[in-house]
Amino acid sequence: MGNRKQAGLDEDPLRASVRSLKETAGASKVGVAYYDYETCTGGSYFGAEWFHAASIIKVPVLVGVFGAIHAGELDLKSRVHVRNRFISVADRTSFRVDAARDANSAVYDARGRTMRVEELATHMIVTSSNLATNLLIDVVGLEKIQATLRELGLADGVELKRGVEDERAFERDINNRITADGMLRVLRLIEDRRAFTADASHQMLEIMHRQEFRSGIPAGLPEDARVAHKTGEISTVAHDAGIVYPQGRKPYALVVLTEWEADRTAKRKATIAEISRRIYGHLTGEPADA
Amino acid sequence: MPDVRIRVVDGLKLPPGYREVLRPGEPVRCRDGRVRRLPRYFYEFSSWDEAKATDLAPDFRAWELLDVDVREHALLRMDGPRYLPLAAALLAGQLQLLRERAGTLVHVSANGGYRSPSHRLSDEPTPHNWGAAANLYRVGDDWLDSEAAITEYGRKARELSPLFRVLPYGRTAGQTDDHLHLDVGFVTVVPHGRPEEGEDGELPRDEARGDDGNGGAADGAGDEA
Repeated sequence: MGNRKQAGLDEDPLRASVRSLKETAGASKVGVAYYDYETCTGGSYFGAEWFHAASIIKVPVLVGVFGAIHAGELDLKSRVHVRNRFISVADRTSFRVDAARDANSAVYDARGRTMRVEELATHMIVTSSNLATNLLIDVVGLEKIQATLRELGLADGVELKRGVEDERAFERDINNRITADGMLRVLRLIEDRRAFTADASHQMLEIMHRQEFRSGIPAGLPEDARVAHKTGEISTVAHDAGIVYPQGRKPYALVVLTEWEADRTAKRKATIAEISRRIYGHLTGEPADA
Repeated sequence: MPDVRIRVVDGLKLPPGYREVLRPGEPVRCRDGRVRRLPRYFYEFSSWDEAKATDLAPDFRAWELLDVDVREHALLRMDGPRYLPLAAALLAGQLQLLRERAGTLVHVSANGGYRSPSHRLSDEPTPHNWGAAANLYRVGDDWLDSEAAITEYGRKARELSPLFRVLPYGRTAGQTDDHLHLDVGFVTVVPHGRPEEGEDGELPRDEARGDDGNGGAADGAGDEA
């Protein structure tokens, strides 16, 4: 890492490119951060800006789950009661997640029975299951995950305050938040195999490699580039964060966070894909569609 | 038919690790302030497979009241012996009535049958710790997660058996909103020729009330689901 150069995107040609994309697409806010393992260089554009985390928060939750496994409180084969009933951090009242918001019904259909931690972790990341996420937060404990993130030095730029679909917390502005720089630290911890153990980090990456939503970062890459990533989208934000493994070179970590007016939905994923494409071109010197 | 080969063990004679987890015959104070003794006698299953193969009632097997998740003590989740208080057979018999009335499967949820006093959901004693409660999440194709379904099946259960205590629909303590809680009280069963729950055979005294604290009948005391 001796030659590492931590340049801001605002110091290199990408700044103008990202700003231009943001303005053309009509995004309210864009945050980008990357780190390239090939050149040991990185940069960020509004990397310290806070965004609503949406489902990107599921990666820090995954880290918290593996923290509990590392501590011996769980293992991947542990069984968890699937129950759609959670307690709001806002007022301690109960709430349920909406089955329609999960991409597949596997977790919802298992209500009353148990699923293994590894199944829930996979559904949380691969199909972004909100029910799986809340079950894992519930069984590990919100405070325990928060403590794990602090101990790993990830609390700067990642604020986990609640489970997902906690509407009463949302109404009181209690939300999970991230910065691009903060999420980049999470990704690098995993890619560097420093998330507890090399094996635990590898297992997290394996789960992230199985991501089914491919319209963000992967859509801006050559087909042979592998990506371990997690997307996130609600009415006002669309994000993607992951590690890109191009053919024939070392990987790079990339976080793209975007914020929009609620009615401006058309260009969100295309904007993330285009930023991904330009970052790829900048780092490899090759066009993504070559 | 219920399996007559089922083994009964005295919890006080189990190895120390199991005694620490099951706390047989130990007096505990319940939410209503009364002191009750935890069950002392258990059915013993040498393995999960044996629990899956053992009938407690024609349509209820032992595993259905033993299915727990990671919140239960590790000793009761590993391959090895499983223990179920004798009251579970009484509960299974009552559930059988509901099964026959409904004409379809009655599903007990994970963590919804017996929970040891070491279970993470056992902050305060409930009939689940006596093997005398069941959380039903589905009857046939009916999910019991609405006021209408919980109220309807709760009414049917009460009509079938005076032993059944049903928690009403609601979102506060002593209510349920995503399953139907049925219990038959803090029932303890003592086999013939065996001493009572306490090792010395004496019943605990409730200091606050000066009465016998070993209430074995459904008394409507508040509990959680």
